[in-house]
Amino acid sequence: MSQVDRATASAAANVGAGNWKGLGMWAWMLFRIAGVVLVLYLFAHIGVISTGRAAGADTMNDVFNLFDKTLFVLLDLLLVWAVLFHGLNGVRIVLMDLGLGIHHHKAVFWVCMAVAVVCFAVFAYSAFGFIRDQGGGLL
Amino acid sequence: MKAEVLTQSKGGVWAWLFQRITAVLLIIGFTSHLISTHIQAIGELNYRNIETRLGSAFFVVMDVMLLAAVLYHALNGVRMVVLDYWCAARSRRTALAVFLWVVGLAAFAYGLWALWPWITG
Repeated sequence: MSQVDRATASAAANVGAGNWKGLGMWAWMLFRIAGVVLVLYLFAHIGVISTGRAAGADTMNDVFNLFDKTLFVLLDLLLVWAVLFHGLNGVRIVLMDLGLGIHHHKAVFWVCMAVAVVCFAVFAYSAFGFIRDQGGGLL
Repeated sequence: MKAEVLTQSKGGVWAWLFQRITAVLLIIGFTSHLISTHIQAIGELNYRNIETRLGSAFFVVMDVMLLAAVLYHALNGVRMVVLDYWCAARSRRTALAVFLWVVGLAAFAYGLWALWPWITG
């Protein structure tokens, strides 16, 4: 591989990540962090749901009662934000890959984020209503 | 330019395509999943609640589809992260892919095993 080929290949390999500056960098970083968090949650989720069969209904219900505590509802809300950010930024990526809105990519990003914020508000309303109705401490 | 970028993608064109297809499935699936668990059934999640939900064919199809799609999407994502920091030889990249497929299929089988009593009622 010549020097020029190498430069072309490395430039092309960087296309998906965008430039290492500005809004695109932050969007990419948060997208990746949220993605890794969601992978870890996925396996935890499979583990928790499998307690129903592996350990029985009573054990599973005990675990779910723990998840109803304020601390876990707040953690759940963080998870909802990770899903919404990763999902809506992902919508932007799919749109760009389809060639839609490339010339307005920043506007597309902010519209996606606006949708994420509105959806988050709905989940936050639901979560805080639940926390209030339930009362009690953090754990 | 675009074709050039695609053929030079480290992950492969099919993986790129499937990552997009599963992304669209996950957007649809999670909308349903999160509304039903975190808004409609908030605070009511328990063994019986899941049993009731999985009594409907819609949620059985939705949950099994979500399990398969999310595992593919998550593990292919892990593969892309690893390839970004660890540009290994082709044989090791294949080993990574095979390893992740084994993990994914095992997790799918385990998840299906866990859901089975609810699905069969």
